[in-house]
Amino acid sequence: MDDIAALMHGFSVAATPVNLLMALVGAFTGTIVGLLPGIGPINGVAILLPIAFAMKLPATSALILLAAVYMGCEYGGRITSILVNIPGDAGSVMTTIDGFPMAKKGEAGIALSISAFSSFCGSFLACIGLVFLAPLLAKWALAFGPAEYFVLMVFAIACLAGMVGDSPVKTLLACVLGLGLATVGIDSGSGVYRFTFGDVHLSDGIQFVVIVIGLFSVSEILLMLEQTETGGEMLKASGRAWFNLKELSMVKWTIARSAPLGFIIGVLPGAGASIASAITYMIEKNVNDTGKTFGKGDVRGVAAPESANNAAAGGAFIPMLTLGVPGSGTTAVMMGALTLYNINPGPTLFTDQAELVWGLIASMFIANFMLLLMNIPMVGVFARMLTIPNWILVPAIVAISMVGVYSIHATTFDLVLMTALGVVGYLLRKLDFPMAPLILGFVLGDMMEQNLRRALAISNGDTQVLYSGGITITLWIAAVVMLVVPLLLRWKRNNKLIEIK
Amino acid sequence: MVDRIVAAAWLLLTLGYAYVGSAYEAKFSYEPIGPRAFPLLLAAIAAVCWLWLVLRPKSVAEDLKGLPPGGFTKASIMIVAMFCYALTFEWLGFPLSTALASIVLGRFFGGSWGGLVIAGAAIGVSLYLLFDRVLDVTLPLGTVFGG
Repeated sequence: MDDIAALMHGFSVAATPVNLLMALVGAFTGTIVGLLPGIGPINGVAILLPIAFAMKLPATSALILLAAVYMGCEYGGRITSILVNIPGDAGSVMTTIDGFPMAKKGEAGIALSISAFSSFCGSFLACIGLVFLAPLLAKWALAFGPAEYFVLMVFAIACLAGMVGDSPVKTLLACVLGLGLATVGIDSGSGVYRFTFGDVHLSDGIQFVVIVIGLFSVSEILLMLEQTETGGEMLKASGRAWFNLKELSMVKWTIARSAPLGFIIGVLPGAGASIASAITYMIEKNVNDTGKTFGKGDVRGVAAPESANNAAAGGAFIPMLTLGVPGSGTTAVMMGALTLYNINPGPTLFTDQAELVWGLIASMFIANFMLLLMNIPMVGVFARMLTIPNWILVPAIVAISMVGVYSIHATTFDLVLMTALGVVGYLLRKLDFPMAPLILGFVLGDMMEQNLRRALAISNGDTQVLYSGGITITLWIAAVVMLVVPLLLRWKRNNKLIEIK
Repeated sequence: MVDRIVAAAWLLLTLGYAYVGSAYEAKFSYEPIGPRAFPLLLAAIAAVCWLWLVLRPKSVAEDLKGLPPGGFTKASIMIVAMFCYALTFEWLGFPLSTALASIVLGRFFGGSWGGLVIAGAAIGVSLYLLFDRVLDVTLPLGTVFGG
């Protein structure tokens, strides 16, 4: 019951005019960021984070803004999927499969409203899940010592390597690269300057914002250069604007299955919205496709991925808020936001920063309602954004990225470093390296190293401390399972393919 | 083949990282492992992975995704343009450098010169006003103009 009281207090924090405004601005911007192909939640949050910081917003308001952007993206992506047949962001890839055929049949309005409603249900469930699950997990995690923490982060990396991208080796390398970038700067354990090469700009380490904007925004722009297609033509939002009771009853079980599953997938580190929507779509197709209507414009094919990706986005907050180990690339950026404000993420967040945490959770409820109200009647306004030509959009995104980086330290050095990292990111992405694990590695780097060193300092150098406790052993086993099971599945699938050939 | 060369280059970079990292030592040691161990551990993992990417059998290797015709030149010019933008940001000031960069970048995305000049000026000035004046994010007006 304490949690309910805390949530009520959270609502009083979230309902202050500034915070309400932030949720509204975030929800609106997020929907736009989500619907524009090319920029997704990570870019949106990464670009807005330094600007929020430079505007001297308090930490709670800044996080409310970023969380609303994240949620808005999961709403916005579906608009492009349905009307243009191009996913607006990675989480809405599956929505194109049935959303676009619906729009072609003249049922765009129904597809848009049912997907908005599904998104709402997914997010709402995730918020409820946060309220009940997060404090429990945080209390449990208070028992974690440095050794447990270190192994937990190994577990998170194992999850990533097993699930993200096609090549576990490349995902692992991306993680290690991120961890390596985090070692630049003064070492907090000993005071030694590492990898700074005598440059004063690097003594504090590489700025988080520089890395994220370089790797995501700049490299994304370079990749956009290669898209010769101008984008399909946009369909009009035709047909009824609202779904009816018959359609609602068709999707109710779909949502009831997909949202909780999406939430659970979101909580696991590494697996995010895109995996959640893919898995739930496949399940619905297996369960319900009796009339072979999936892929030809079935409402359930729209409801499943949309409820799942929103639930996963909400679920990803749980490991970030309770363990300090983000569940997705976007929450990794938000964790970077916490450190920018000198707030240490981890299980103590719920006790030390109760106002911030509960204010954030309460505002997510509010933002979710705002998004639902915004997304059904205003869908035409948002769709109009898609008609902005790239030759205006791209320079504007680059300029805002520059502003974001410049606002942190106001040095040319950071701008040049960001561009250089962007080129590195571009080359890595050309070679199919996933970028989200790199960010995760960078965010976790310092924590991982310090916890390892602390654990070994306590045990006086005896490495047995890393695998002697009940929690550490469980986490090691879980890490191996998360790493090996997807590999086995992939191996089995490949063998099958070879047999077929 | 390109991916093997890139991986080999990264392998060298990793070894360089390990070499530089191996020199770090704490003056006063009050913990058993010090500032050197973690970077070396990372370098070891990375080196094994990169080595695998250099040597892996052909059946599982995949090559660099191809660029569209003229893609390399385009990407190179764009990278140079972005570096120029970064370097002139403080010197020419935000409005001017942004306008110039917008014109160059916009050309790659199918803008006409006339439209780009107007759009570039509009982006430079409006973002300056939005961030510097409304949102209180200080932006440079250009040291070359004494700003």
